[in-house]
Amino acid sequence: MELYLYIALFAPLVGSLFSALFGASAKTSLTGYVASGLLFTSFISSVLLLNYVLGGHTVHVEMMTWMATGNLYIPFGFVVDQVSVVMMMVVTIVSTVVHVYSIGYMDHDKGFNRFFSWLSAFVFSMMVLVMSDNFAGLFIGWEGVGLCSWGLIGFWYHKESATWAANEAFIMNRIADLGMLIGIFMLYWNVGSLQYDVVFAEIGNLPVVITTWIGIFLFIGAMGKSAQFPLHTWLADAMEGPTPVSALIHAATMVTAGVYLVVRANPIYDLIPNVGIFIASLGAFVALFAASMALVNRDMKRIIAYSTLSQLGYMFVAAGLGAYWVALFHLMAHAFFKALLFLGAGNVMHAMHDELDPFKMGGLRKVMKGTFVMMTLASVALAGIYPFAGFFSKDLILEVGFVEHHYVIYTVLLLTAGLTAFYSFRLVALIFHGEERYKLFGIHPHEAYKFMLVAMSPLLVLAIIAGSFKMTYFQLVMNLLPATQYHVHNQTIFWIMTIGTQLFVIGAILFAYKKYSNWNSVPDGTSKMEKSFGYKLLWNQYYIPKFYEEVFSRPYLELSKVAWKEIDLKIVDATVDMIANAIYKTGENTRDIQNGNLSTMLRWMVFGLVVLLALAVAFTVGYNAVGA
Amino acid sequence: MLDHILSILIFFPALAAMLGFVVTKDSMRAYGIAVAFVEFVLSLWLWYAYDPMISGMQFMESAPLIKSFGISYLLGIDGISLFIIILSTFFTLLGIASLTETRHVKNLIITLLFLEMTMVGVFAALDAIVFYVFWELSLVPMLYIIGAWGGALRIYASVKFFLYTFTGSLVMLVGMLFMAYFYYQATGQWSFSILEWYRLILPENFQLWLFAAFFIGFAIKVPMFPFHTWLPYAHGQAPTIGSVILAAILLKMGTYAFIRFSLPLFPDASVYFMFPIAIIAIIMIIYTAMVAYAQEDIKQVVAYSSISHMGIIILGTFALTVEGVSGSVFLMIGHGVVSGALFLLVGVIYDRRHTKLMSEFGGLASVMPRYATIFGIMMMASVGLPLTINFVGEFLSLLGFYKQSHMITLTAGTAIIVGAIYMLSAYKKAFFGPVTNEENRNLKDVNRTEMLGLIPLVIVAIWLGVYPKPVLEPINNSVESVIQLMHDKAQSQEAKARIPNLSDVSGMNSMQEAH
Amino acid sequence: MEITLTHYLVLSSVLFAIGLIGVMRRKNLLMLFFATEILLNATNIAFAAISHYIGDLSGQMFAFFIIAIAASEVAIGLGLLIVWYKRTGKIDLDQMNSMRG
Repeated sequence: MELYLYIALFAPLVGSLFSALFGASAKTSLTGYVASGLLFTSFISSVLLLNYVLGGHTVHVEMMTWMATGNLYIPFGFVVDQVSVVMMMVVTIVSTVVHVYSIGYMDHDKGFNRFFSWLSAFVFSMMVLVMSDNFAGLFIGWEGVGLCSWGLIGFWYHKESATWAANEAFIMNRIADLGMLIGIFMLYWNVGSLQYDVVFAEIGNLPVVITTWIGIFLFIGAMGKSAQFPLHTWLADAMEGPTPVSALIHAATMVTAGVYLVVRANPIYDLIPNVGIFIASLGAFVALFAASMALVNRDMKRIIAYSTLSQLGYMFVAAGLGAYWVALFHLMAHAFFKALLFLGAGNVMHAMHDELDPFKMGGLRKVMKGTFVMMTLASVALAGIYPFAGFFSKDLILEVGFVEHHYVIYTVLLLTAGLTAFYSFRLVALIFHGEERYKLFGIHPHEAYKFMLVAMSPLLVLAIIAGSFKMTYFQLVMNLLPATQYHVHNQTIFWIMTIGTQLFVIGAILFAYKKYSNWNSVPDGTSKMEKSFGYKLLWNQYYIPKFYEEVFSRPYLELSKVAWKEIDLKIVDATVDMIANAIYKTGENTRDIQNGNLSTMLRWMVFGLVVLLALAVAFTVGYNAVGA
Repeated sequence: MLDHILSILIFFPALAAMLGFVVTKDSMRAYGIAVAFVEFVLSLWLWYAYDPMISGMQFMESAPLIKSFGISYLLGIDGISLFIIILSTFFTLLGIASLTETRHVKNLIITLLFLEMTMVGVFAALDAIVFYVFWELSLVPMLYIIGAWGGALRIYASVKFFLYTFTGSLVMLVGMLFMAYFYYQATGQWSFSILEWYRLILPENFQLWLFAAFFIGFAIKVPMFPFHTWLPYAHGQAPTIGSVILAAILLKMGTYAFIRFSLPLFPDASVYFMFPIAIIAIIMIIYTAMVAYAQEDIKQVVAYSSISHMGIIILGTFALTVEGVSGSVFLMIGHGVVSGALFLLVGVIYDRRHTKLMSEFGGLASVMPRYATIFGIMMMASVGLPLTINFVGEFLSLLGFYKQSHMITLTAGTAIIVGAIYMLSAYKKAFFGPVTNEENRNLKDVNRTEMLGLIPLVIVAIWLGVYPKPVLEPINNSVESVIQLMHDKAQSQEAKARIPNLSDVSGMNSMQEAH
Repeated sequence: MEITLTHYLVLSSVLFAIGLIGVMRRKNLLMLFFATEILLNATNIAFAAISHYIGDLSGQMFAFFIIAIAASEVAIGLGLLIVWYKRTGKIDLDQMNSMRG
């Protein structure tokens, strides 16, 4: 089994390095095939490992020492247990699909080889992240995915907006990573090890205050990767990257790393329910907050990005309330349908020549049947309609909130579910139904390559049936996670809740259809709604990016300039030069003594003599006085 | 031969440089590479012969110089100095091999070989006077390199560099003389041997004064805020090779000397000054990172980033824990490799465009993809991405200091944020975006000679990031003995408490068994 | 009135002061030599007087040394002065500043 572990882990790395060899040369389809093939190998190995883990075993290997000094000992250790194998499945499935899809999507891009190199490197980092058996290894993957995300968001580096977004994402993540790093330091100095098993065995012996701080700092790390408020702005901007990247990194895998961290560290968070409540509240807030921004946005990818943000909020609610397995389950289901949604959006973008405004589309279902069906079904799954995947995972989170008596959270999430359904179908309706507004812009859309649609189909299948794995999954992860069943015991309430939610969501869908499926014009900012305060607030993302720009970015740059030009040059360096100059000036001024004029020199001599004599007398007198 | 390997390592380049005067101009490059290569192989042999399990000094050599004052020619290395010596020979080799300078190449190579002698001498010397002699001698070749091959302001820059560091070293010399005098008073014998000095336990108030005297010498060399302003000028005016050696090796003399002198000689004072120095380190980290962010010249970005990284090294050194000090020694190696590589990379573009202003570039990634890739890797190493060499050092340094103070570590940890800010924005300005300047459109990608210098650095930067053990283990053993010495010598309660006691068997063994 | 040591020393000091003022004020090289001679002789008086009162001959020996040295000094000085005068036609001190630093 160790062999499979290594294959699953390193196959993407090999693919990445292979593609990197051709990084600077012209496009060769070979890189795409090799990278995808290796990814598929990794997927097969993960399946075999899953099968093994289902048999009740786990695999734990220690490859080699990484860092060892003092009492610190960090190996490259990898573990395939019930939690990591689920993540491995999610990562390898989605990334295999995305790789194959990208062969078509990036067909005409001159950075084709580079793209596959980055993409496979990302998968490798993600595998390191989920398979590591210690916090330091997790951190390797954590930063590694950040790096690859930087490279892929800024993939089209000639675009200013893309490179800006890439840097923003990297720096925001770094802020959070600092929190995580501090969490790791605290663990080390309090537990003496960073291995999961040692940490989780010892964590109960620590004072609660310390555990709380550890939990908080680790969660700060999670907030960055999972783009939770207030570190959320990078995710929407990250949509500058190629769409397959958004599907893989910014929907299915990397952004869920934060959730994975909380799930993985469940023995820590179990001890500190207060932090858990905070996580859940923040999650609920983000769910609603992000959904509200998605309501008015006119950028297809950003809408889906906000929806991702919102769903991450759901996951954190579950994780914060101690329902770790529910969080992980939603993570899995969400990965499938959200990746599908993004890939569908990618098809639309291709067809529309990179146009992102759904108001400029419309009626595309006639030319893009396959994409239409897939995106609709993915949206249905996202909305949580029975029997799609979203129903099982998302409704469960609502139930968790209800059963744990956090009714405010429950209400917020319920409301968000309605909003989710509304904006998802607003998007579908605008893109695929109604008048063919794109004709105004002279675009001739076409369906994507067949094999791209075929590549997407596994995700479609999973988006539909993932819910049926619920019991198998539960049996699997209860070995590692708290096996709490969240059931509303009262049958009546349960049915009222379920059916009520369904009706509410369906109502939202119908409303969206009614409002947008016959849309016939491109809004130009003159309608009454667009002028309202609420709309503007949402349109500008609550002015948060602007706020960050004004309060952090710009002052930091200004302050840096002051630090350089005013402080460093004019104070610190000038002081040094002043001292040097003072010495120089003293010499310059006193050179008059040496003016070569004998009588002046004699006068100085006499002056010196008198001074020396005076000193001698003074000292003698003083000495005698003391002596006496 | 092993008995005198250190002497050979020190004086071989100097002798070869003397012979270099009779070598013809055309064959000078080959000659220089050959000499530097032999020297590098010798240093690798040193590593091979070095026993990592012994924490004390190895390959010791001793010959009396001035008996009546106890000055002797005393050499020896431990895990701390071994790798800096190898780094010196490595960089001299790389520097000569990838030299693109065309003016007076012969003189330049001879100067570099002399510089190599002084660098190896500083790190191998165990006698304070010998140490001081090499320390001062190293200024001369560098003064010459900056002054003769530098840019427009080279005279100002080189004089500033020389006078500034020289002033600091004089104060240090006074400290050394006092130290020897105290030793004489305590034992009735004169000695300048550092190893002898280690045995001396000084009263705390003496320690404070001596620490301060040594501190000024070392701090200017490092350079620590607010003594850092000579560095941007030196880097700004120095030719590529000068900047590379300056950043990679010469700055390490200061931090190395802290570990060799200040910590074991003055444990109480080290604890006493721990927090003030940590504050300075934080200022270095954040303030110079901000200054780096404001720069318009890409070389100055790298220069200021050096200061910022040296802040982390200082912080790790004054963590006074094994993790922190090992980390800081490792980061010296890491920073040497990374900043050396970055200066080489800046040199590549400067050779092509004769400007270092970022506004002149833009879009280089599409014109010079290989260059952009190597620069990208080194940039990521510089911001301390895991699995690159700098991460190991930064992680351990910060981890080490966390034991002493949580808040300071948290503040200093912002290094990973501010570092990313200036590096990424510089990279963005130079490499991303469309090609706006027509002159950049037909630039040639890195050529073979340049690759020769860069590829080994990339390999080292990643190899030591993935598998630091061969280097970290000897460092760790030597650092443990330093820390133990400090703990044993410490007198004040606070110092005893802050410096861990490694021979405390119970704590150590239980940890070991846990693995 | 008996002449005591004090009288000699006062005379010596007065002469010394005159010589010192001469050294400082005179711009003529020849006058400068006179002034130095006065200075030297002032000390000679002091040496001889103190030597007599203490009863130690070393002081008087010193005075002789000084007379000898002063003589040779004046000889060399005058020689230089004449050379200088032949070259420039002046012996003004303010003109002599070729040693300006």
